[in-house]
Order: sequence, then structure tokens, then C-alpha cells
Amino acid sequence: MSTVQKEPLATHPVKPKLVATNRLEPNPYNPRRLFDREPLDVLRRSIKKVGVLVPLTVYWSSRKEKYVILDGQRHWMCAQALRLKQVPVNIIAEPSVVQNIVTMFQIHKLREDWELMPTALTLEILMHETKERSDTTLSEMTGLDVAVVTRCKKLLSYPKHYQELMLDPNPDKRVKADFFIELYAVRNDRTVNSMKWFSKNRFTRTMLDKYRERKSGLKAVTDFRLMKQYIGNARKAGKAALISARLKEYVESDSLTLEYLNIPSVNVSASARRISQAADKLHGSIAAINPEEYFGEEQMWKALDQLRKLIQRKLEEADRRIKG
Amino acid sequence: MKAPRRPGFPISADRMNQWIGDFAGYRINISEGRVERWLQGFRPRHRDIAARVLDAVEFVSHEQIAAAYRTALARLPGWHLDASRRAGKWRFVPFSVSAGESGDSMLHAFRLANRLNRRRYDPLFIGKRDLPGEQLTADDSVVFVDDFAGTGKQAVDAWNEALEELLPGQPSAYLVLVATSAQARKRISEETGLTVVPQHVLGDSDNIFHDRCTRFSPQDKETIREYCRRADQVNPAGYGQCGFVIVLSHNCPNNSIAILHAFNDRWEGLFRRHD
Repeated sequence: MSTVQKEPLATHPVKPKLVATNRLEPNPYNPRRLFDREPLDVLRRSIKKVGVLVPLTVYWSSRKEKYVILDGQRHWMCAQALRLKQVPVNIIAEPSVVQNIVTMFQIHKLREDWELMPTALTLEILMHETKERSDTTLSEMTGLDVAVVTRCKKLLSYPKHYQELMLDPNPDKRVKADFFIELYAVRNDRTVNSMKWFSKNRFTRTMLDKYRERKSGLKAVTDFRLMKQYIGNARKAGKAALISARLKEYVESDSLTLEYLNIPSVNVSASARRISQAADKLHGSIAAINPEEYFGEEQMWKALDQLRKLIQRKLEEADRRIKG
Repeated sequence: MKAPRRPGFPISADRMNQWIGDFAGYRINISEGRVERWLQGFRPRHRDIAARVLDAVEFVSHEQIAAAYRTALARLPGWHLDASRRAGKWRFVPFSVSAGESGDSMLHAFRLANRLNRRRYDPLFIGKRDLPGEQLTADDSVVFVDDFAGTGKQAVDAWNEALEELLPGQPSAYLVLVATSAQARKRISEETGLTVVPQHVLGDSDNIFHDRCTRFSPQDKETIREYCRRADQVNPAGYGQCGFVIVLSHNCPNNSIAILHAFNDRWEGLFRRHD
């Protein structure tokens, strides 16, 4: 468990008191867009009957001369709607930067519509403040999935000017984080990095240009997976020099397509097709299983469980996002 | 919007010189030949209206932009050139990042205008990605610098999708603009934590097609709209249907009417936006 979570928010004894409803203001990190009307109506009816029973948690902002709500914003919204003049509050000390960040992350995990780059930058501060680097620990601290933490760290590995591109307010000019996340696998490939001509910055710039201008047939960010596959297969087949030369040509020419990197002698696409067909067939057989009928077929269930684990492991190795 | 000359006023050498003088300093040289070519894009009977549109163009020069930025910074509570007299920490950030356009070049103009170009002021100027690391608190201020906001949508989206999360300490956040529409200012103020600090605020009467714009008759407006449609079928009145006739010296906002800036097979705008 992290030290952050152990830190107490309050530095003095908490004692509920009544404050004017209009002296409170919401915390900007509350997921306001997630408030759905129906439960709010229920809460409002309850508050109308018995008042606000649970004190709100707030801190005093001397700059704003207001109490900022850390917890209980829904109660406050109802109190406002009901024109209650006062609400009970527990006043705690203003949270530290790290506490603020952790609180924000706990809320942020509900806000999937936010861009990933701001999350990555905030994670960077948390890593700096806590000196914590482990994806798992950072995941525990923030409530973010380990995979999200990993993706954030990939974004942080890019130079600042690329990070700025992900923050451009103009959606037409903003580069999606997915581009950089998918490119990461090629950009950091050890075979690619050992190529004498290779420069990370130039390669990134060129790929970005090809992607934006739809050059070299580059259509989707997932094309970089194919690129990584071609490079990896060439390496395994002892064709590192050939793939280096081809990748260089591909980078320099906008007329060459990704297929140019697919060295025929190491082509795995036929094998991939066979596996896909076999998977389809197996999928049909498994889907047809009635668990009650096969309840005692221990060996079959064991085999399926092993298959599940193998598939999961391979998906993880291929850096695929596993959706629950 | 400036007052155009009366209908039928001759397109004389004096009037031409007036336009060329007014538009001096635009990113692409506005020469007599270019104005002539633009006027020829209109049928002869409509050139009088075209000329009156040019009269009405509100051109904001480099000097006016610099003055706008000076005024804006002077208005911000707690700012002082002398660090020891400033309230809290201050940071200036380009709102958009694309090289050569708005944000970063505007931040440079802002910096020069406010005599902040010395090296000792370098730490005050940062990128958006550096904001979380600055750990700004409620005692501090962050100033985003841009040129123009037409509808406010971009600023609102940027706030919701990124900026809010980059400012966990809730510093005072300002968006300094040379000009904005009243609608954009209202929307940004209501839907974000940004305080908009504009020099020029354009209202309904600055929308050439709006009923409150009395500079042009309804017939004139219909004629202008017809040419605007030819110039840009999707956004004839400019992005967000703002209908403005404002041009900033470094670029013409895409919220201005299409005949001013559209550049395609059907139309050659006078104030081309891109090279």
C-alpha cells in the first residue's frame, strides 16, 4: 500500500458545523457529467423530508474565500435546489498536491472520455512526488488499470513537443494518444534501435507525417502492429540487415507501402490465417457447449481453462487491450 | 465592423489606397492587383457591395494586437513585472501549439508586447504539458494566450478534455484573446474555469447577416451570402455561422465570412489563411 493513501487528510479533529450553502463550491474534479437525474431526485426527496444528515467534507480555500467540497457534492446540489440556507460540514485541512492528485484519479477512473495525455502528465507528478515507478503500485494508488498506467508511461517517454501535440485544443490538429502508443512498439524495438540509420525523433516525425497525410498507405494507428510484426519476423529469420534497409527505404519514400516490409520468406500470414480458421471452428464448438450436459467432464474444463490462460498470456504479450 | 462608404461611392484610387493602407502588414501582401482580382470575382453590378464589404473589414494590426495584449495583462489582478510584487506564481501558456499559427506565435507576440522577452522571464513561459509539474495552487495564475475565439467550442472542449485536469491546484486561469464574440465569451465563462480577457468583443451587429447589422441592406446581405456560398458551401458565413468581417494581421479567423478568406477552385479570398 502506498504512503499516499496512509496520509490523513485532516490535520486537526473533525467537528461538524453548519455553514451557509452559498459559501460552498464544487470541486472541479467531481465527475459532474456522471450525475444522473433519477438518483438525484430520490436524494432530493429524502433531504426534503429529513434534511442533510451526513455532513459534507470540505476544505477552506483562503484564496476563493469559499469552502470547496471534497465529498457530498450531490447533497449540496440538492440542498441548493431545495433552497436550504445551511448544510452540515466537516472541515478538513486543504489537501496536498499528491492527495489532490490521488483523489482526482479515483474520480477520473469514471471519466473515460478524458484524453489520456493529461492523465499521463498528472501521473508523472505523482511518480515524481512519491518516487514510485512500478506500474502495479501506481495502479493501486490511483485506481487506474495497470494497462492505463503502462500506456501513460509510454506517452511520457516521448519528447515534449509530441506531448504538446496531444494537447492541442484544435481537434483537427490534435494527435490522438493512440498514435504514439501504437508507434511506441516500433520506436522502442531493439532491432530497430540497433539500425545505424535510425533516429527516434526523425522516425517519429516521419511516421506522424505519413499518418496525418495518409502517405505510404498508412491508414490506422494499428498498422504499426503489422510493422512491428514484420520487423520481428525478419529478425527471427536472420534477416535483420534486409529489414533495416527496407525500413530505411520505407521511411524515406512515400510511395512504398507497409507491405514492402513484409519479407516473403518470413511471411506468417498463411499461418495466421490457419490459426484464425481453427479458432473460428473451436469457437463454434465451445459456444455449443451446454455446461449442465458437460458438468462432469473435468478434463475438458481443465483443457479449456488452460486454453483461456494461454490466450490471455498471448494477448498480453502482443500488447492487446483485454476488455473485461 | 467599420462603417462602409455609402452605396455607389466610386472605387477610386483614394479608396484603393485606403484599403491597401488599412490591410498593410497582413501575412500575405495585399497589393492593388490582389484587391482588383478579388473585386473581379464579383459581377460588375455587385462590385459596389464587395467594395463596401472591404470598407467594413475590421483589420487588427500588429500594433493593435500588441496593445491588446498589454492592456489584457495590465488588467489581470496580482500581476506585476517585478516578481517581488506579484501575487503568487504566474505562468503563460500558448493555447494552441501548431507552429506558425495562433497559440505559440501569439504567445511570442504577447511576450514582446509586455516586455517579457528577456531571458530572466523564460521560466514564466511554458507549454501545456508542463502545467502539472508547476504544481500551481489557488494562489497562482495561469494565462493562456490565443488570438480569437469565434464560438467558444474549442476552448470549452479543450477545458473539458484536458486543461481542467492539468490544473489540479485550481489556480486562477485566464484566456487572453485579441478578440472574441460575445457568445464565445459567455459560453467559455459559463462552461469552463477560464476567465476570458478579450480586447475586442464582437456582438450580433458585427455579424453581417444578422438583423442587428444595419450596415448593409437585406438585399445586400442576400447578395453577399450568395457569393459566400460560392466561396464555401459548408460554412458560407464562416465557422459557427458567425458572419464576422474581422481580420487579424497574422491571419483571418475562419469565423469571418468565406468571401474574405476561402481559397479554392471557385474562389480566391483576399485574406488567404494558409500558404
